[in-house]
Amino acid sequence: MTFNPLEQRGIPLDRQLRNWRELNVRPIDPDHCDPYTRCRIITMNGIEVEAILFSHQLARNTVDPEVKRQLASVRYIEAQQQKAVNWLLPGVSSVLETTIAYEQVAVDLTAWIARMEPDPYLKQAYQFGVLEDFDHLYRYANLYEMIEHRKAESIVDGLTEVMPGRPTKYHHRDPVDNVRDPYDKNATDPLSKLHALTVLSAEQQTMNFYMNTGPTYMEPIARQLYQEIGLIEEEHVTHYESLVDPGETWWEQLVNHEYNECYLYHSFMEQESDPRVKAIWELHLNMELEHLHIACDLMRRHDGREPQEVLAPQLPNVLTFEPNKQYLRELLDTQIDLTTLGAGYVREAHERFEAMQEQIHGGEQPPSERVMAQHDEMFGREYRVQSEGEHPDPSQREK
Amino acid sequence: MSTLHTPHAGDDHAADDDVVSLLMRQHGDIRNLFDEVEQATGEERRDAFRRLVRLLAVHETAEEEVVHPYARRSLPGGEQVVEDRLAEERAAKETLAALDDTDTDDPKFMPQLLKLRRDVQEHARAEERYEFTHIRRGTDAAKLATMAKAVKAAEAMAPTRPHPGVESGAANMALGPVAALMDRTKDAVRKAMGKDG
Repeated sequence: MTFNPLEQRGIPLDRQLRNWRELNVRPIDPDHCDPYTRCRIITMNGIEVEAILFSHQLARNTVDPEVKRQLASVRYIEAQQQKAVNWLLPGVSSVLETTIAYEQVAVDLTAWIARMEPDPYLKQAYQFGVLEDFDHLYRYANLYEMIEHRKAESIVDGLTEVMPGRPTKYHHRDPVDNVRDPYDKNATDPLSKLHALTVLSAEQQTMNFYMNTGPTYMEPIARQLYQEIGLIEEEHVTHYESLVDPGETWWEQLVNHEYNECYLYHSFMEQESDPRVKAIWELHLNMELEHLHIACDLMRRHDGREPQEVLAPQLPNVLTFEPNKQYLRELLDTQIDLTTLGAGYVREAHERFEAMQEQIHGGEQPPSERVMAQHDEMFGREYRVQSEGEHPDPSQREK
Repeated sequence: MSTLHTPHAGDDHAADDDVVSLLMRQHGDIRNLFDEVEQATGEERRDAFRRLVRLLAVHETAEEEVVHPYARRSLPGGEQVVEDRLAEERAAKETLAALDDTDTDDPKFMPQLLKLRRDVQEHARAEERYEFTHIRRGTDAAKLATMAKAVKAAEAMAPTRPHPGVESGAANMALGPVAALMDRTKDAVRKAMGKDG
């Protein structure tokens, strides 16, 4: 696929504003949609939220009022894009149902990016993280059956397996061990920049979602599980954001954001099965092309550099939502017992890890373990979907 | 789909001392049965649909007899909240009655079923958000437990899961039309409420 966003023109900015009727999108049907359509919606919402928050931070660090006004104009359109995208999610879905879809995104998005990432250090960061999201999916799936008597497979629909990953209780590390080394902006493959920004945005959205919706539950175990996993999302955002080279200028970062949005809308337009949703991806791609041009002009003006110096000459292969079952099984077989030490990975439970574990658990079982015990009391079994056979790690097989 | 079976609300080992948790799980059971009807064909679909109709009838009747009257009496603004829910229930019942007269193999069946499913799902979430939340907030544990008991009494009145001898068409017919089933459920609930309430 040769598509160079730098050479395409989109919809002029002064024609991008939508009225209420145009923003009033019809939501997807939660019981009959393509699960990966829902995953694409959740991903693009996270991307738009990051675009908005980044632009606000940039504006707060900008002195020139004319530039502030330009950022505000583009940001307002991005806020409309976020509304159009996230409002595709239906009001009849419960928070827990949407949570399981968020974890399906985290699993299949991160696994695909780990598979495609050319840099071995970055690849390891994604491989490490995905086994944690995988375990969150399993814990929430058990909570879902307890509260709503529904099975997670009615959401993930056989595309993603549901079984233990790296046990959630071991995700609580000393915060200093969550900071990775960054890539080098001048040496790294441009694709790696897009990967880091995409996963970082998705995890940040998940963190925001859990920190805000968790307390809407009344069931004590639900409230507690959201609190525990919400704190791990904080660790994940730290983990992924530290991969990005802090030496990128604000304008370079802005260009990367806009370019990534073009890349993802283009990718999702190419593979979308729902024609109504596809039309939104296409429209938004045509808006983003213009946002990218505006960002490129700002970079030329403020940095005195050509955006081509930091971007790929053409869009990489489309980012794809597809099953990653065998890949995840390989990781379960080889990396389930890893933890981090400094910016690297080790197998032994080192002193700093043990100290954190002792403090945070306070001698008790954490919510992620208690949810399994309570589920077992209620049903006399666990909830899993192991469509490809028993768990690769013998210690994680159901007793 | 996995072979794991999720028992109906009341049949799992939950404490069932909170009417709201019980009804929320029953909402999930209803949604599961819609899945079953949609995925099955022929005799299996007919059977799944009979079980869905029974569960819907029992569930809605129990709500009308136990939960709505309580919400109307005890919640600030409860009158209007309950009015809105009853209007949704009336609409769903009309679709259900029309559907009950349609053979599950009839081409008209599936579009009507999907409409019913949408109505029922929207109604269920509206209850959870606008009615149940307030009930939990303003009701003591003993009352939540009493109401749970009454809902379970309704369940016992009209078995909503396949029991030996109940799956057959003849036994299903013996349960009678939806309206009669609702009447019998009403009696059972009133009896349970009278004893414990």
